[in-house]
Amino acid sequence: MTRGLYLGWLVAGTLALILACALAVTIGPATVTLTQVAGSIGWHLGLSAEPGAPVLVDAIVWQLRLPRVLTAALVGAGLALCGAVMQSVTRNPLADPYLLGLSSGASVGAVCVVILGLTFALPVAAFLGALLALTATLSIARVGGTITPVRAVLAGLAIAQLAGALTSFIIFWAAKGDSYREILNWLLGSVAGASWGSVTIAATALIVVGTGILLSATRLDAFAFGDTSAASLGINVNRTRWALLGGVALLTGAMVAVSGAIGFVGLILPHLVRGISGPGHHRLLPLVAVFGGLFLVIADTLARTLFDPRELPVGIITAFIGVPVFILLIKRKRSHLWA
Amino acid sequence: MSLLAATSLLLSGCAAAVAPAAGSGTVPSSGPNASATGYPVTVDNCGTAVTVSAAPERIVSIKSSTTELLLALGLGDRIVGSAFLDGPLPESLAADGANLNVISDFLPGQEAVLGLNPDFIYGGWQSNFSADGVGERDALASLGVGSYVSPAACKGEYMPRPLTFDAVFTEIAEAGTIFGARPKADALVATLKADLAALSPKTTGTPTALWYSSGTTTPYVGAGIGSPNMIMTAAGLTNVFETVSDTWTSVGWESIIEADPSVIVLVDATWNTAASKIAYLESNPATQVLDAVKNQRYIILPFASTEAGIRNVEAVSATIDQLANLSG
Repeated sequence: MTRGLYLGWLVAGTLALILACALAVTIGPATVTLTQVAGSIGWHLGLSAEPGAPVLVDAIVWQLRLPRVLTAALVGAGLALCGAVMQSVTRNPLADPYLLGLSSGASVGAVCVVILGLTFALPVAAFLGALLALTATLSIARVGGTITPVRAVLAGLAIAQLAGALTSFIIFWAAKGDSYREILNWLLGSVAGASWGSVTIAATALIVVGTGILLSATRLDAFAFGDTSAASLGINVNRTRWALLGGVALLTGAMVAVSGAIGFVGLILPHLVRGISGPGHHRLLPLVAVFGGLFLVIADTLARTLFDPRELPVGIITAFIGVPVFILLIKRKRSHLWA
Repeated sequence: MSLLAATSLLLSGCAAAVAPAAGSGTVPSSGPNASATGYPVTVDNCGTAVTVSAAPERIVSIKSSTTELLLALGLGDRIVGSAFLDGPLPESLAADGANLNVISDFLPGQEAVLGLNPDFIYGGWQSNFSADGVGERDALASLGVGSYVSPAACKGEYMPRPLTFDAVFTEIAEAGTIFGARPKADALVATLKADLAALSPKTTGTPTALWYSSGTTTPYVGAGIGSPNMIMTAAGLTNVFETVSDTWTSVGWESIIEADPSVIVLVDATWNTAASKIAYLESNPATQVLDAVKNQRYIILPFASTEAGIRNVEAVSATIDQLANLSG
């Protein structure tokens, strides 16, 4: 692909993301006019002196839709980015951001606080759970200070199974009445509860860690050819792998904390985008972030509007849209995929 | 007995006037007034044919609604075990249930239940009868253990659409037939009917209301065809989600804010208290703007009174009383 064509994709994707966000804020179960949306946002941004919408409409736009749409965009971008990095670092096409047991660890933390009725502490507990799982995985995977991809994957598998069992046990042990419903919603992943706090957490993590990841594109390219080749290119393989895994864990932990374990985006989006950008990380990483955000904004908008006023878990939509596209890609663009 | 004693005034006035309400699926073998001697009884229960040849003597009750109905029918001494109760017994039944053998706060397994040597299991939910619960109904039947599910909790084509007080009363009568306490069941229905008829909403018009059961990010609310809608309608409220054809449903806050209900009915359960829901409503910037939240127009009902059963009339009464005390 020529540089011009790639830039075309990137610009088109970014414009589509902005457009999708703008459009998503105007769509919802409640009837809100474009003028009211603009009025509400304008007032909060200090662009107009008068509240542009009645107080309830203003709450719908500013406290519910806008933070939700922005969180979806940020989480989608973050997860897609994490997935791309994990696939490269572990040289495993099945890798996703949750590979090292992160989401399972986060679930344990989340379930504990929901059972105790401390729902407000959920993001913190989920984040701590994710970090705990990561620490456990890496300490199992580490032999003599080095980590190999295979050991990391197997250790992650073990921790994920253990944490999954722990989550099920806590639900079995303590869930009364319909409290399992709240947990189930969270386990399925959703940005329905997004607030401005979620936006702040997701944005901070994406900007700080995402920048670091984008700057590592050259190193990630080197990893594609194996540890020995990477070392021969002058890269400290072990230290780089630790740093990248740690960065991905932090970013994933933050995303899981605000949205639960939304599946699919981090696994499939990197494959889809690789079909456009090619395997080079300088091109793959920015594009995968943009398309990840776009994909989740669209999926979440469908999730909250298709069965109005009922809400569909977003994971169902991501799979329904993503799988057919992915199958098409496997059929037609085999050369761009891993196999 | 205490429930009947407490309402004996109403009883003496009305019992004679009310004809026994035979369940639609009930086929008592000896006429509409079949009592303890009217066996065998065959009913179509959620699609399962249940034949009872004699009054069950060793009953296991699952959930509060079934346990409370048995106690109200004076059958406490025939309950060999209860489980999965939703909360404490109401005051009127506390004495009858003092010796209740509560085997678990959760849904027990087959072996734990069969170990009690029951001849009948009465479940509040259809899902109670599963292989990892108290057992499949067919499997229980082959062991000689009868089973009965609250018809209000039937799924699919057997689900009452919508649930009405008549359906609740029919269920009480049908349970009376099955458990050999039909006269008492008829008297209980008569009392409840009279209690319900004596209630009248004290509000002008029909204020809009949200039935908030649980959930924070995706609230779980009362929809159009279940007990929440039945209770709200009887109390003179208009359910903001009455058009959703489901018992309960998950909705987004956006729909709730747009509806801006005049009052919010909060279900109080030990695992999800009304206080925790109020705290959430008042701390979330999106829900703070709701009229009902700003003016703290909340109605609180105990969970066990909100599932179809003998306490629904009491829930209506509590709703009307609390509604009358709310600020304008």
